[in-house]
Amino acid sequence: MNRQTDTEFTPKIVGFLCNWCTYAAADLAGTSRLKIPSTFSVIRVMCSSRIDHNLLLTTFFKGADGILVAGCHPGDCHYGEGNYYARRRFALLKKVMEVLDIDAERLQLSWISAAEGHRYAEVVGKFTEKIRELGPNPIKGSTRF
Amino acid sequence: MSQNGSVLIIGAGIAGMKAALMLAGASRKVHLVERLPIIGGKVIKNEESFPNMECSTCMVAPVQQAVLQNPDIETYTYSTVDRIDGGPGCFSAVIRKKARYISLVDCIGCGMCFDPCPVSLANEWEEGLMPRKAVYVPCSGSLPNVPVIDASSCLHLSGKQECSLCAESCAFEAVNLDDSDQVIEIEVGSVIIATGADTFDLSALPNLGYGILPSVYSPFEFERLFASNGPTQGEITLRGSGTVPRRIAIVHCIGRTEAGYCSSVCCMYSFKFVRFLRHKLPEAEVFNIHLDVCTPGKSYQSFFTSLDDRDTTMLFTPSIDDVRVTENGPSLTLSYPAPDGNTREIEVDMVILAAAMVPDRGLGEIAQMAGIQLDRHGFVMTVDRESGSLQTSRDGIFVAGTAEGPKDIQNTVIQAESAAGQALEAMSAAAAVNKERASGS
Amino acid sequence: MRAKVGVYICECGPNIAEKVDIDGIIAGLSEFDGFGETELVVKKYGFLCSKSGREFLEEEIRNLGLTHLVIGACSPRDHDSTFKGVCGRTDLNPYLYRIINIREHCSWVIDDVEKATEKAESYLRGGIARVLRQSELFENPIDVNPDVLVIGGGVAGMQAALSLAAEDRRVSIVERSDRLGGRALELSGLSSGTFRGSDIAAGQVESVMGNPYIDVFLNTGVSSVIGFLGNFVIELLSDEDGATTEISSGAIIAATGCAVYDPSLSGSYNYSDRDDVYNPLEISRMLSSEGGVALRSGGRPENIALVHCAGRDELNYCSGICCGVMMKTALLLKESIPGVDITEFYRDICVPPHEGRQLYESVLEAGVDLVRVESAGLSGTTVSFREKSGVEDQRSFDMVVTAPALIPSPDTADIALLLGIPLDDTGFFQEAHRMTDPSGTTTDGVFIAGTSQGPRGILDSMRFARASAGLILTRLIIGEKLVPEVAVSEILEAYCTGCGNCLEVCVYGAIYSDGSKGVSVVNEAICRGCGNCFGSCPSGALRTKHFTNTQLYREVDEALR
Repeated sequence: MNRQTDTEFTPKIVGFLCNWCTYAAADLAGTSRLKIPSTFSVIRVMCSSRIDHNLLLTTFFKGADGILVAGCHPGDCHYGEGNYYARRRFALLKKVMEVLDIDAERLQLSWISAAEGHRYAEVVGKFTEKIRELGPNPIKGSTRF
Repeated sequence: MSQNGSVLIIGAGIAGMKAALMLAGASRKVHLVERLPIIGGKVIKNEESFPNMECSTCMVAPVQQAVLQNPDIETYTYSTVDRIDGGPGCFSAVIRKKARYISLVDCIGCGMCFDPCPVSLANEWEEGLMPRKAVYVPCSGSLPNVPVIDASSCLHLSGKQECSLCAESCAFEAVNLDDSDQVIEIEVGSVIIATGADTFDLSALPNLGYGILPSVYSPFEFERLFASNGPTQGEITLRGSGTVPRRIAIVHCIGRTEAGYCSSVCCMYSFKFVRFLRHKLPEAEVFNIHLDVCTPGKSYQSFFTSLDDRDTTMLFTPSIDDVRVTENGPSLTLSYPAPDGNTREIEVDMVILAAAMVPDRGLGEIAQMAGIQLDRHGFVMTVDRESGSLQTSRDGIFVAGTAEGPKDIQNTVIQAESAAGQALEAMSAAAAVNKERASGS
Repeated sequence: MRAKVGVYICECGPNIAEKVDIDGIIAGLSEFDGFGETELVVKKYGFLCSKSGREFLEEEIRNLGLTHLVIGACSPRDHDSTFKGVCGRTDLNPYLYRIINIREHCSWVIDDVEKATEKAESYLRGGIARVLRQSELFENPIDVNPDVLVIGGGVAGMQAALSLAAEDRRVSIVERSDRLGGRALELSGLSSGTFRGSDIAAGQVESVMGNPYIDVFLNTGVSSVIGFLGNFVIELLSDEDGATTEISSGAIIAATGCAVYDPSLSGSYNYSDRDDVYNPLEISRMLSSEGGVALRSGGRPENIALVHCAGRDELNYCSGICCGVMMKTALLLKESIPGVDITEFYRDICVPPHEGRQLYESVLEAGVDLVRVESAGLSGTTVSFREKSGVEDQRSFDMVVTAPALIPSPDTADIALLLGIPLDDTGFFQEAHRMTDPSGTTTDGVFIAGTSQGPRGILDSMRFARASAGLILTRLIIGEKLVPEVAVSEILEAYCTGCGNCLEVCVYGAIYSDGSKGVSVVNEAICRGCGNCFGSCPSGALRTKHFTNTQLYREVDEALR
């Protein structure tokens, strides 16, 4: 299949989206025919609190150049307070990432509500740009899982 | 007539939907009738709801989905109820499904029919702040995500000229320009009226300039202006000029004198607007011209007191009725009586009028159709109030939500749950009575 | 058995077909060798969600003996339940199926056909890889007990019991005090709407006592609660003789009522027991007593001040009912003491819409002097106040009536602890969701009603009680089983260290500690499957069924291929 030329870096980005808010926003971006980079892959989870360190680090080791975790705004969690836990775990993981030499900017946590289709497209677009600037993930494949 | 355990619910806002889901959960057949082409009610017009500033769509969309996917709920959108005969346990009702001209079964909501339509007019659901076509969905994220053709503006249907561009653009043959109203007769055991409320008609107060001065906004206009799925995608810019407002006045208690009651939610949504403005326009100066601050309940006053002088300047006036808004070059002058008896003026470039919640303008007709009485304010009257009942003046017909009077979302949902419980209770009671009669005779 | 995955791609008219080269995907997937021994059947169809599409799928599943099903179509939010239904009509377990959103997340958001095709194929590969790692899950219906325990015998508790009993539920009311009726019984002189609170309560007491479905336990508290929706076991403890009674119920309604703020706790209200300072409840009692309203010295008051909003600043909430109560008190005082002068110091008028302007106007008509103030305080029966204009003044009266806020009843926190439900920052019970589930709590099966949730009037409390009763009537149905969520968390006993982290983070209280084995256990009847516990487990003992890391890794692999 026809791939990108070697000179142009095409970042691979994985988005873990909560079922109730951000996944719905992504659907709304679709029904509104907004543009989403084809290099962004959505993986649906029930709650942003489900995303643990293992999953994120493994995703980096497997070669993701960037990961977006997005869920309901704080206070809006379908399960009460899951996204607060997600936020706390994130703060910790960012420190671990430094140790592992992964630029903390490669991981982004965003709150995107079900009505924010445009914001979803904007966040994904900007994040993709940021990762493009950061270049390829240096630790890709450095550990076997 | 035989006993019937199903329920007719009129109005698919948050109250109607919650009651429908509860009853369907108890394996009752529910007929949910909504006059708009979409379900969800007024709550989905709000980007965020007070006091938690929770995303309303996130809160309501799962409820809408659950309603549409529930096999025990028959949802009739774009429909009205023509007649309700009979009594508790054995009502018969006539539902009129207005011609939608788009098949709910075949349409997949791709929206390809919008562009070809040559008609453009103001979108009522978006408070006229953006255009729509004659074939349209009221808002982005509409559920069901199936358009409707507005027969009065459609060139073909209004007989103005031959046009079938929408039908030609549809890959699913979902457009049927020969569609007609359908009349369906159903039998139910109870009825719940959950038709919601309206906001006070601001054009009745010319001193405030609404409808004359473009920078004077109604509360729902402002909600849509703020909404990320709304006409400006959430950018607060002034109608007409497109500029960003710098000084904004929110005037409380509009229509309170005329309505004869305090709606008890307007202060809260006004303070919510302050939060919106602080968030989107941190540099803007916001004034609240207010009389009584009414923030009843355990979590509302703290929402107010969390605002400080940087968020808004609170300006007390003993008489809202004497507030005037006039044009002043590109901006507006708002004058109001101060507590010391003098008239003060402030210059602003946007005014938001916190209008009272009033009975839905179609409620009189529904009440007449259903044979139920309204109270002195024009909301649905309840009887047997000393037992906390939501029974209307006609046995077996209940009311829930703002059709019964102004209230917040929480109390609307409580009433919906209450009415659903009462509907069940009433049907058992009717069954028992009828059984007794049957065995006695 | 060799897996045979059916992959069906919906054309969705032009919506997918025009933006994605479906035939190219079919070819690509058929050539792909990443699924080992798995046999793939890849087909396209016009509209899979249509009746004919669903029938087509059912036939394919049956005729081809598919072990797994992957649908490439629209959002699961649109049609997940449709295709789950298809599985349900065949022998295929619905948890061995997956819908892949190649419309909203692909054909509608990527213009370039080649890129959209590549993306759709990648999503579908992920779906196939994932579905191969999914396991069959089965609904596990549980028997339920339709009976209900109501804690609190006030108007809310009694109304809930009556509504439930009307639907043949056996109800036990547990009441701490020695009588039913709660606070409403004290409202003998005051009316709510056109009704006296005490009449309403008395009427209910009569109905409750005569109802064969309702058992009443007076002078009794709750000492332990275990269980979940459908199956609770509760131990009641008699305050009289310390005897315990065990009862079982399917649901619990906490209607523990409220208490009244003590204005003397406020820095701005300085008075003692010797001063003629009362609250509306005390006035109500005086009004219905033989002696009527009298001063401590014995005489009739000639002038009375009604001062609104006691505790409003301190508690930072407005109870919402005091203005109405105060206005009615003013009218009753005017009526019962001829010639009395009444001055009402208020800050903001906050009366429920139904009472409306009429009440306010009748107060004015009765000759009550209404004074709007910025703030007001007491020194004995002298009221000092600041008007809106900034003018400060003070006036002395024979008697003062305060309007204390409603506060949580003293045992609210204990009951919350017993029931495993949180309090909010005001100390009242916290709802499951403030707006969409105000009668529920984070413990499914425990409902709240009346003023235990927050300040409200008698009629609203009774409506609230009917709401909780209604929820129970529609959730627990006599003779029917309850089907809990299937895609829940589980804890692998062999890996669990019993550290208890997961117990801490579960907002539903769905995880408990099995002391005998030293491990934590998920109660699947309670778990909602959010997966929050997963990240808290340090030993890898937790698994979120249907969202395991193994399943998610397969999606990641294909996204990154």
